[in-house]
Amino acid sequence: MARIHIDHISRVEGHGALTVELDGNTVRDVKLNLFEGMRGFERVVLGRPFTEIPAIICRICAICSAGHAITAHMAVEKALGIPVPAQTELLRELAFLGMFIESHSLHVFALALPDYLGYAGIADMAQDHKEVVTKALQIKKTGNAVQELIGGRAIHHVNTTFGGFGKLPSQSEVRELRAQLANCLTDMDGIVELLAGLSTPDYAGEEILFMAIRPAGDGYGFFGDTIVFSDGREAPVDQYKTAFQETESQYSNAKRSTVDGLPFMVGALARINLFGDRLTGKAAEALAKLQIPVPSKNALYNNLAQVVELVYALERAIEICDQILAEGLKAEPLPEVIVRSGQGTVATELPRGTLYHSFSFDDNGLVTAADVITPTALNQASVEQEITNLGTSYAGQTEDELQFLFERLVRAYDPCISCSVHIVQVKAEGRHTID
Amino acid sequence: MKAKPRIGIYGLTSCAGDQLVLVNCEDELLTILEAVDLRSFVMAHSDNPEGELDVAFVEGAVTQESDLETLKDVRSRAQILIAIGTCAVWGGIPYLSGMGTPLSDHVQVDYAIPGCPIEKTQLLKAIASLLRGDLPLSLPHPVCLECTIRENNCLLQAGEICCGPLTAGGCNARCPSLNRACFGCRGASHDPNYVSARQILEKHGFSVNEVRQRLALFSGKAYEKEGTQVG
Repeated sequence: MARIHIDHISRVEGHGALTVELDGNTVRDVKLNLFEGMRGFERVVLGRPFTEIPAIICRICAICSAGHAITAHMAVEKALGIPVPAQTELLRELAFLGMFIESHSLHVFALALPDYLGYAGIADMAQDHKEVVTKALQIKKTGNAVQELIGGRAIHHVNTTFGGFGKLPSQSEVRELRAQLANCLTDMDGIVELLAGLSTPDYAGEEILFMAIRPAGDGYGFFGDTIVFSDGREAPVDQYKTAFQETESQYSNAKRSTVDGLPFMVGALARINLFGDRLTGKAAEALAKLQIPVPSKNALYNNLAQVVELVYALERAIEICDQILAEGLKAEPLPEVIVRSGQGTVATELPRGTLYHSFSFDDNGLVTAADVITPTALNQASVEQEITNLGTSYAGQTEDELQFLFERLVRAYDPCISCSVHIVQVKAEGRHTID
Repeated sequence: MKAKPRIGIYGLTSCAGDQLVLVNCEDELLTILEAVDLRSFVMAHSDNPEGELDVAFVEGAVTQESDLETLKDVRSRAQILIAIGTCAVWGGIPYLSGMGTPLSDHVQVDYAIPGCPIEKTQLLKAIASLLRGDLPLSLPHPVCLECTIRENNCLLQAGEICCGPLTAGGCNARCPSLNRACFGCRGASHDPNYVSARQILEKHGFSVNEVRQRLALFSGKAYEKEGTQVG
């Protein structure tokens, strides 16, 4: 029996290890161990005032902290019945798009593209492909610029508050941002062409089961109220506890999620599979050019799905800037918050997949229960299943080649391991339950 | 320092935000990479030769045995060890949950860059100093001073729990400049005047417990030492 062990997967956020047991041409066992240390966020927030929850919870993860911060605000607002004006929702969407632009460009260009082109990292790749790397960094920077402007800081936003913002951007700042976004969208043309010419390794797999939140309205997007699986299952977001099942893992610090025992995948490829037909404009063109097979049987295409979403995020962000420039922003007073007991569950789509936040509060607005389920935790079982398929397809290869492919597949999921491991210890100690 | 100092960048248990701030130096990143001999940056690079280091940047709190092993190993190989981010400097939110401790509880830390996350400008200035062979300058003033210089309205006087008077400066009063009270994410400043800040907050009707709870969010350890004064 051969055993392939990667003790620290590189070019991912956080600390993860992978062990694959091979018996001849059969993959006997796959264990993805997310061994990032536990930080106990759900325990920390217990008993704390609702006002502090977003600032604490967003520290789960830096790369998608905007998603955590905004989703936490939305869950608190839902629990306490705080009204959210349409203008706030629009600016929050813009902040989300900034996060997508930053996160997807970081992953596609700095973490995954070196695999396609045969480099150890972006530093080596920059020596031979300086133009692409320079453009990629500008796109990434623009994603951060969006977040700086709306969120007040690229990492761990500080400007977002309940119902509104500390300070609104000026028209000239929005105009400047729009110009940067437009340049990036133009640069993406050539980048999409380049990526369309790269081949993704193939492997024999089954149709992957996907999960995502159905975008509100007719368009593509990252906010909605319904959980959708690619096999037709649906559930309202506030019934997420029964829509899929979480179990504790013996070997990983993150929980495994399955639906009736079946692993499922979340993230860009899931959204493209479920809602890619809603894309328009340059994003729809990119989807066609990159030839992502739908329905997908190959998780490695997640990287190209991220490229499509990168184009979408740039286009949609420009659209929102145009709307703001045409209509202006109103300095609205922040809604009055009436402290009361309540419970709020919100799910949003983050760059890596669906994020669930659920908080309960007592009469004084103090947290009595908290539950956070992150995309990387949701994907763990799917990673293991796809590694099995990949390993079975490439069983004859050398150990080095297999190791490279396995690491590449884990990386294609863009795992955010810090995000995934905050939960188990709390549950194991029985400190709280959500219901 | 040598023409190309050997640098290692490490993350213990953390959100990776401080390493991400380095990656977010999009305009400077390639220049920095040319100026140093990057020996380890697992988050961004495969093929890390490790070995002896001139400077190690370490993010995160020590929450488990493997964090401690990594930290001790890095310390033994590095001439200068720099704690980056409030988790590494104070223990941050992991300390609050009783799960993590700061680097200085375990090894000698030569320089600390606080912040949740660290500020890009402070990181770049630190790197520039190190490339010239100097240790970076510490910033002894609190956020409150920077806020005053920016002529912001005082949120503390307006009745909000603002941690500006007690929190390490270097962010150019980022939050109060957005009409948002300082949450203290950069940890305690040098020699803060707890008694005066507490008196102002009490005057505005906040209980000692509320004040203590807010201050403990990011650098509880600093205030434990001064516990009697805060309380």
